Amino acid sequence: MNEYEKEEPASRRDFLCGAAQQAAGAAIILAFGEQLVAFSEAAAGETAATAEASAGVPYDPLKHRYLYLIDVAKCIGCGACVRACALENDVPDNHFRTWVERYMVSRTGEVTTDSPNGGKDGFEPLLTGQDITKAFFVPKLCNHCSQSPCVQLCPVGASYRSPDGLILVDEKRCIGCGYCVQACPYGSRFIHPETHTASKCTLCYHRITKGMLPACVQACPTGARRFGDTQRPGDEVTEIVASSPVRILKPEMNTEPNCYYLGLSQEVR
Amino acid sequence: MEHTKHLWRAFLILLVLGVAGIFVRHFLIPESFGEQGFYRYTSLGEFKEKPVIHGAVGSCTSCHQEIADTKTAGKHASVSCEVCHAPESVHAAGGQKIADMPTNPSHTLCATCHQFLEARPKEFPQVDVTQHLIDLGVMAKGEAIPDGACIVCHQPHTL
Repeated sequence: MNEYEKEEPASRRDFLCGAAQQAAGAAIILAFGEQLVAFSEAAAGETAATAEASAGVPYDPLKHRYLYLIDVAKCIGCGACVRACALENDVPDNHFRTWVERYMVSRTGEVTTDSPNGGKDGFEPLLTGQDITKAFFVPKLCNHCSQSPCVQLCPVGASYRSPDGLILVDEKRCIGCGYCVQACPYGSRFIHPETHTASKCTLCYHRITKGMLPACVQACPTGARRFGDTQRPGDEVTEIVASSPVRILKPEMNTEPNCYYLGLSQEVR
Repeated sequence: MEHTKHLWRAFLILLVLGVAGIFVRHFLIPESFGEQGFYRYTSLGEFKEKPVIHGAVGSCTSCHQEIADTKTAGKHASVSCEVCHAPESVHAAGGQKIADMPTNPSHTLCATCHQFLEARPKEFPQVDVTQHLIDLGVMAKGEAIPDGACIVCHQPHTL
């Protein structure tokens, strides 16, 4: 997905390991072919998470892998997402699990950014005194990175990546050391003023596991924020990410974010 | 074998340390830690149990089908009810009404989306609210915007 990433040629060791695994796989298929066919048919019959939830099927984190898509050109900077997130997750004042930034770029390339109260109350007209040629809003949140620095350095195993691809903080394990807050290249974490533990976006885990949308996605009036599951057959967001010129934030950090941006301008940091 | 006693001592000390280690480890490492990785797997279940505040898509329509139909036919079709009102949980629980749903007639709510801003997409309907009201003669220059100024002319459900 990362446009800067190049595929490395496979080493001899990788090749031999892969060949050995494939041979073993073939043997298993030969031995248990019929059962495997039955299993894959059952998997194909599975539809959206909502159908699963209403059918009373218990949520299996191993059967989902989430991703998030932001269409910058659609964001109107209303802040409905920030307000919905704060209400849904009881986010303390002046702290944000998601926020909206405004970028204003002048003809000479000067960039003015602001995010008053995280964009929670919307934005006021801003006079920069410059010839603004490009202006847009950029919603931000935890990128739920596949290679997240915050998880790597957590000394107590409180920050972790769940099987469904989310970065979460176990409040009972967190000792509030704040290393992860400093390590996150995207500024997505904060220390909760009451619990004194690290707090961050969970993509509304309590909602998505019931087949609902994250509060920010549901609140977005223009469809700028979208939520998908790569494991869901025919998932629209997965298709857009696979087929459109999407970008990620700070690709140079090699964090492999699972939050993609459509139409992201290069001024965004 | 005159040193057998020493060996037994070393063995016993190692055994005691080993057993103590297993004992301490049992109390220090929480249940389900390491099941799926270097974390407490059961904490996923704790996240799932957090209360849901906003309703699911379409949860309002189960009681308010008429308003929903009106809204869906208009320009605010893609705006969730809860954006302008309040989360479902303040108004209903278990399919029963528990309190009145707040309405916010203030122009500041309309302005969060429709106040003209350079950064907004050009095709999105927006207006300089103050100038618009002065042009219409609703207020004079320098005056505060009267409460509910927008909804006098613009009905959010039927737009």
